[in-house]
Amino acid sequence: MGLLAAGIGAGIVAIGAGFGIGMIGKAAVESIARQPEASADIRGAMILTAALIEGVALIAAIVCILLVFFA
Amino acid sequence: MRRIAVTALFFLTINPVLAAADASEESENPIDVIGKVQDHHYLDVAGYYLYLPRILFVEGSAIPYIYGSTESAVKSGNFEELPDHSLVSTMGNDIVLDMSITSHLMYFWFGIILTLWITIAMAIKYKKGTGRETEPSGWFQNLFEITFVFIRDDIARTNISDDKYKKFVPYLFAVFVSITFMNLFGLLPWGVTATADITVTGILAAFTFFITQWNGSKDHWEHVFWFPGVPGWLRIILTPIEILGLFTKPFALAVRLFANMLSGKIMIICILGLIFIFAEYFNPAFGLGSSVLVVPLTVALYVLKAFVGVLQAYIFTLLSAVFIGMAADEHEHEEGQIEAHA
Repeated sequence: MGLLAAGIGAGIVAIGAGFGIGMIGKAAVESIARQPEASADIRGAMILTAALIEGVALIAAIVCILLVFFA
Repeated sequence: MRRIAVTALFFLTINPVLAAADASEESENPIDVIGKVQDHHYLDVAGYYLYLPRILFVEGSAIPYIYGSTESAVKSGNFEELPDHSLVSTMGNDIVLDMSITSHLMYFWFGIILTLWITIAMAIKYKKGTGRETEPSGWFQNLFEITFVFIRDDIARTNISDDKYKKFVPYLFAVFVSITFMNLFGLLPWGVTATADITVTGILAAFTFFITQWNGSKDHWEHVFWFPGVPGWLRIILTPIEILGLFTKPFALAVRLFANMLSGKIMIICILGLIFIFAEYFNPAFGLGSSVLVVPLTVALYVLKAFVGVLQAYIFTLLSAVFIGMAADEHEHEEGQIEAHA
């Protein structure tokens, strides 16, 4: 049961994180295309925001790992 | 041709999973994933175990019991080892505090010692005048200078206000370099990733937390306890959220680094372990054949992990700088203007 829950959870985490980081990538690429000279600043902001989303996703991933090994 | 390959790959991956589901009832897993990422009381040096000291505080005595290794602790008769490798006192007292030196702590120290050595060696070199009066000499000093200028200009100065950033550059640089070393140590053979331990990253995040709060400006605390420019009743909701926010930021910082390093390690072990899973459930030749696919994949993952190790150190440093900058920033108060943003 723990394995099943971890599998489903990891899938949902991947959907959420992929969607979020995809949106960031889309916005960053669009803005770099509009204003190529600001690409350094945009890249920094992109990495920062992606890291924030990644943090939430990884907290969920840790819960899944705990379910696999300790549930 | 490609379709055949894809179908073959599909059946190759689906069968072991089903087989593993049947076999897991009676046999142990062929690979011990958790054991590889766990903290141990020994350093594994090329297959030889180098045992580390045990320091145990036992209930009812202020002086710790100190032994050279777990084995000598058991031999002394004061402690016995349980099957799960934890020690219990034979006198019936509880172990209050286990201050034993573990492999993660050793690698944490290795990272710090390397950082200290590099920075002190460079400081001596700069004191002599190399790099200040003349050009920096050698690839090492150039690399050092690139890293330092990157931390100072791109991380500290852009996120912390111009009159204050200088104070935090040493901390940010030390954190960046030591986390990079700790992450990359895990890629060495028999190496241990110290940052794949929540206590190590928790300590690092605690440093950031205390530095942030210590250098918090008046405006920072005003935003926490008495949010300006909102109706009075809203502060009942806002103040607890802001206080909670103080703690969630370093918590997320710790978990991000920890989970990235742990998942990288587990991923490599699992993918490399496919060889042994195949060999165990089918036959050894099958495992040998699968290594043709698995080993290049692991090499690619290693490269990715080396990149992620540096990237996560960068992200940790960047977010530390952002948090410090947010707290240390003083807003310019203008008469008659309401500030409503954090």
